[in-house]
Amino acid sequence: MQVEKIERRREAQYQNLLKLLDGHRRDASKTGTSLRSSQMRSIINSHRMAEAYKEGSKVAYVSEQFPTEICFAFGLIPWNIESMAIMLAQSLDVNRIFQMTQERHLSRDICSFLRGPFGMMLADCYPTPDVVLTNDQPCEGLAKLVFMSGRSYKVPALALHSPNIVDEDSVDYLVKQMEHMMSRLAEELQVERFAESLRSAVEHSNQARHYYRKTADLLASHKLPDVSRELQEVFGMNYFGTRENAQLCKVLYEEAQELVGGEEKKGKRVLWIGQVPEESHELLQHMNEVVDIVFWAPLWEANRLMLDEDTPLRSMAERAMLYHWNAERMSSDIAQICDEYEIEGFLIANVWGCRNMMGVSPMLRDLATAKNLKYLTINIDLVDRNNYAFNHVKNRLDAFLELMK
Amino acid sequence: MSRQDTVHDAVQSVVGLYRDRFELLQAEKRPKIGYVSIQTPEEIFLAAGIVPFRLTGEEGTDTSEASARLSQNYCSYVLSCFGEGLAGRYDFADGVIFADACDMRKRLWEAWTRDVPGSTSYFLELPNDASAISKEYFTLQLRKLLRKLEGQYGREIGEEALREAIQTCNRSRALMQRLYEYKKGRWQALSGEESIQVVKAATTGLKEPFNARMSALLAALEAAEQPPARKRHRVMICGSYFDHQGIIDTIEEAGADIVCEDISNGVKYFEGEIDLDAEPVAAIADYYLEKHTSARILDTDVRIQHLLDLALEYRVDSIIYYALKFCDTNLHDFPYVRERLREERIPVLFIEGERNATNIAGAKTRIQTFLESRMF
Repeated sequence: MQVEKIERRREAQYQNLLKLLDGHRRDASKTGTSLRSSQMRSIINSHRMAEAYKEGSKVAYVSEQFPTEICFAFGLIPWNIESMAIMLAQSLDVNRIFQMTQERHLSRDICSFLRGPFGMMLADCYPTPDVVLTNDQPCEGLAKLVFMSGRSYKVPALALHSPNIVDEDSVDYLVKQMEHMMSRLAEELQVERFAESLRSAVEHSNQARHYYRKTADLLASHKLPDVSRELQEVFGMNYFGTRENAQLCKVLYEEAQELVGGEEKKGKRVLWIGQVPEESHELLQHMNEVVDIVFWAPLWEANRLMLDEDTPLRSMAERAMLYHWNAERMSSDIAQICDEYEIEGFLIANVWGCRNMMGVSPMLRDLATAKNLKYLTINIDLVDRNNYAFNHVKNRLDAFLELMK
Repeated sequence: MSRQDTVHDAVQSVVGLYRDRFELLQAEKRPKIGYVSIQTPEEIFLAAGIVPFRLTGEEGTDTSEASARLSQNYCSYVLSCFGEGLAGRYDFADGVIFADACDMRKRLWEAWTRDVPGSTSYFLELPNDASAISKEYFTLQLRKLLRKLEGQYGREIGEEALREAIQTCNRSRALMQRLYEYKKGRWQALSGEESIQVVKAATTGLKEPFNARMSALLAALEAAEQPPARKRHRVMICGSYFDHQGIIDTIEEAGADIVCEDISNGVKYFEGEIDLDAEPVAAIADYYLEKHTSARILDTDVRIQHLLDLALEYRVDSIIYYALKFCDTNLHDFPYVRERLREERIPVLFIEGERNATNIAGAKTRIQTFLESRMF
């Protein structure tokens, strides 16, 4: 697509977004934690959103756990279509968005985290990408949605396929795909040299990861609910590879250190497994009164992996495979988290349409039984409010919290 | 006996392989391994002296236990296969191989490993495109599988055995392709039900009797007198796993012919052939990736182009897109497929259903209305 045309469209798309936001301003008092890092993250997100609509910006649609270091090596702004839709869903009339997806015959049985971005694209609110990049995490549905968005916008669509079994052959295969992807990007974006910028992105990624890991370690022995939440946000944002993200993780760690010692007595700990609602969500508020919530996703092994700066693609490949849903790996990973973080219960949040989460739930229940932990499975929908009512969940949640007391 | 009776008997003889598959497989001395995706290279197993057969979930009508061990919101093909496994229906087999054909089948692999004791489960990585890198990797995966089977069964799988297996499978494909030539014409020698059952008979793994019976069927068809040509509405079925008798009957009773099934129980199973002159494992890998046009592949345009080619080849008037409830890959594809078919002016009807659903009154009315408005 011609550059001039993309830029004209982006201006219109920005106006479309503003119109959608206009009627549904989010209550500012309900957003974020009181941490400095939370405000910092907000600024980074707002800035990158605004930049993505600007003339001359290079935008890449990406899937949730795409190795964004590749984007930054090519000066691309990664537009995570899924998390962006979730963020926007908190601020706009999401029913209108879902209505559009139904008019285009997309089934309501599909996870709302995927229907949301499809609707946002139909509403022509996202900035037209220069390229779309996808891998298959966290699910095949998102991979397809991202890939086919490239077809819809008529821009190059490049994909990585990550095997499920982690071994040398799989790493080699993924590395070859990444190399191929980068050579295609160099060609499409007319970038001659990218080795140096990749090296720099990997360094920034590791700097951020260093603080991220230290923060996660602090959570093991201290009750720091805001920090736990912020770590979840940093993971969801997936902005690893930038200087700003390294700075953000450093500030978060410093704040966490300051908070250590002054925290309240540690309550019983529940591991929140599955997709996580916004911080002001009634479920979290309700639970926070009784238990200390630790979010599972930020503690995944993949999220704690440092990249080998000499062979970054190999460690990025390994990380990509570790992000895959895999009951056996997850079971051993969670067992370790349970011991390390003194977890006493699981809250398993099944989002309507997330087949992977539903499919690993029996393993989680088996694990909880084996470790003598209490657990509760709830079915919720965090984006499509038509599929969820707090009162339907509350009775079961109260019974669970009663057990946890 | 009339020539038409001979054809009927020949069809029944082929279909009988599917109908009696459990008894036949149980009586078979060779080891047996089941599979759930047609992207599983049967040739590898045949070369190892193993009978590869497809799980159909036909007897897994009670999926309550399977739902409890996976989820109620799962595709009913996956649940019914799992239901059969939990009920011990495949106890006669050594195990099941799960190709990475969709997220739900991946979770099925894990659940099977955990909950079906005594059954060895294999997992086969499956790239979602046919690039050179993917073909190289898939070849490597097939070699690993070969080595695993060699170790498991204590026999060496040589190039000659592989070529022989390729030849056998290519023969099955060629026979089915010849049969489907009839469907491209005006004489629909086989009903929709019979066509699907013939393909299902090929997936029982009983290749030699299948090839022999298919040859007899083709001979009977060639000898049979063709009835006067008739002009009927020509329907193609595409989408998820499909063999729903009620839907087939509804289409045919409305006065239309099912001329092509772009599904795993249809042409997708037997398209193309494996290059016998190439190195066998690489040739098998190339074939399976190149023919892959299911909803699971990332680039839906590849699937759509294949669908359009078939529509032209079989002179299709309209398409019924059948998606099993919760079959995400097919549900995701539908908006794109529908849009492209609209551009090509090919009418399409979307039907969502369950593997063993009996109450199909709503779908029936929609199919009848869709077809009647185009036929008269």
